[in-house]
Amino acid sequence: MAILEVEDLKVYFPIKAGIFNRTVDHIKAVDSVSFSIEEGKTYGLVGESGSGKTTTGRGIIGLENITAGKILFDGVDITDKKSKTKDIRRDMQMIFQDPYSSLNPRKRVFDIIAEPLRNYESLSKLEEKKQVQELLQLVGLSPESILKYPHEFSGGQRQRIGIARAIALKPKLIIADEPVSALDVSVQAQVLNFMQDIQKELGLTYLFISHDLGIVKHMCDDIAIMYKGRYVEQGTKHDIFNNPQHIYTKRLVSAIPDINPRNREKQFRFRRDVQKEYDESYDDYFDDKGLAYGLQPISDTHLVALPERG
Amino acid sequence: MEANNVNIVEQTQDPSKSPSGLRILWRELVRDKLALFSLILLTLIVVFVYGVSIILDQDEIVTVDLFAIHEAPSEDFILGTDYGGRDVFGQLIIGTRNSLTIGIAVTLISGIIGIAFGLVAGYFGGHTDNTMMRVLDFFQILPFTMLVIVFVSIVPDYTILAFSLIMAVFSWMGIARLIRSKALQEKELDYVQASKTLGTSNTKIIFREVMPNISSLIIVTMTLNLAANIGIESGLSFLGFGFPESTPSLGTLLSYATNPQTLEFRWWIWVPAAVLILVLMLAVRNVGEALRRATDSRQRRG
Repeated sequence: MAILEVEDLKVYFPIKAGIFNRTVDHIKAVDSVSFSIEEGKTYGLVGESGSGKTTTGRGIIGLENITAGKILFDGVDITDKKSKTKDIRRDMQMIFQDPYSSLNPRKRVFDIIAEPLRNYESLSKLEEKKQVQELLQLVGLSPESILKYPHEFSGGQRQRIGIARAIALKPKLIIADEPVSALDVSVQAQVLNFMQDIQKELGLTYLFISHDLGIVKHMCDDIAIMYKGRYVEQGTKHDIFNNPQHIYTKRLVSAIPDINPRNREKQFRFRRDVQKEYDESYDDYFDDKGLAYGLQPISDTHLVALPERG
Repeated sequence: MEANNVNIVEQTQDPSKSPSGLRILWRELVRDKLALFSLILLTLIVVFVYGVSIILDQDEIVTVDLFAIHEAPSEDFILGTDYGGRDVFGQLIIGTRNSLTIGIAVTLISGIIGIAFGLVAGYFGGHTDNTMMRVLDFFQILPFTMLVIVFVSIVPDYTILAFSLIMAVFSWMGIARLIRSKALQEKELDYVQASKTLGTSNTKIIFREVMPNISSLIIVTMTLNLAANIGIESGLSFLGFGFPESTPSLGTLLSYATNPQTLEFRWWIWVPAAVLILVLMLAVRNVGEALRRATDSRQRRG
């Protein structure tokens, strides 16, 4: 059963101008996005910066006002901010992109991780401390570090504190907004593998937002590519990486670095061909405003933004 | 911050730890000799004034004694007497105490109103912010001195607390504006967003998350406001709209100098009060300036 269903989600930001501050136009940050995530799966949302992937995530969790559309979580309509009851908020948590600003510098690690527990569970001080220490152990930090402040940790450790906070309530869905893009490459793998481990352990569902195709390939079961607020292509990992249909996806996939030096020449030619195809067939894939068309199914799982045929 | 009291023992000082906000403020104070001197002087004055005023009896000091009018400083009266034969030294002590108490009370009350107002406006933003700021604008365009004078004249029960409240109602706008602008920045940070997704209530986020993070700004503004408020109170009393002569303040002592005779020949009545106002305001200001510098890492000396 799908745990999260998003139908026709739109998030517009008004552009205000003139003496009366009238709304003259909108920036369509997210423009008619629909998808659904199965329980226990990882759904990857990929796109360049400004493509609306982060806004999609923030809209779902309620940090951004939704202009139109419908969001169903576990079968319950949570489109309206008021309909997000405490119980629903509890089951949906977020991991933030920047581990430096997402932890309150004035709070000890203990208070940071205990924050969700205090909001939802009335534990005794002792139980609370025990739970926080267990969570710290789970994310691979020493239980003694509860007395420290966030600035005493490295970026990777901070991100794991952020993860510990997100999983403290054992949520069903975690929205991970570029959880590793602020980290060193050496630490990225560590955090990603850890996220996969706890996924198995706790049966989590991830909405994984990233701009890094390599990471998405490693993490996700289903992938969607976004461009200028719209979906360009959506499908399983296999569909996207082995059978990309849209020219934008092809370009992204061709840009994944290959570490084998023997393939360098081949890769170079491949990229040049893709670029040539991109330039030639740009008008076939994007409308006159440079936006992607509506999605057309080409198989059960695979949807591509193509102009209506016929 | 909640639950720092959960059997958390204070850590031993670790040199690799970056210093806390309060420690930075303190270091800057120590490094700035003038500010440190001001702080010590201020502490001495405050302790002396409040200490001595416990022994002194206000009613006795303000009792008119016609046989001791305008006496020059002598062994009986360290700083002589005024036109009512009242001991100027005693009035100075009581007056300083009253001025300080009002200054502190006004700073605290206006600070609490201003901080709460600014935090709420800045945190919620949008329409809330817009409406609240227009209310603030309204208060700001009111003529402060005139209104305080009017209120002072119509309030029957005229105590230190009432006077402080009247002053505070018309002096919270500056700090509210400052706090609001800071709160507007602060609420965009991820830790506030994170708290929202973790189900923390807005009230809790405002006062437990955002406020501690702007505490140094609050301390600095309040200190600088204190200096200003002591001055304003003295000014009002000087004009005759503060306390009556039965409740001396630094301003009432100073207002004796409006009599040319006193100004020219009886310096002991007004010079000490004038010097004390100057010293108090300068000392508080020096401390405040040092604190303000400490909040900006580029200007720090410590």
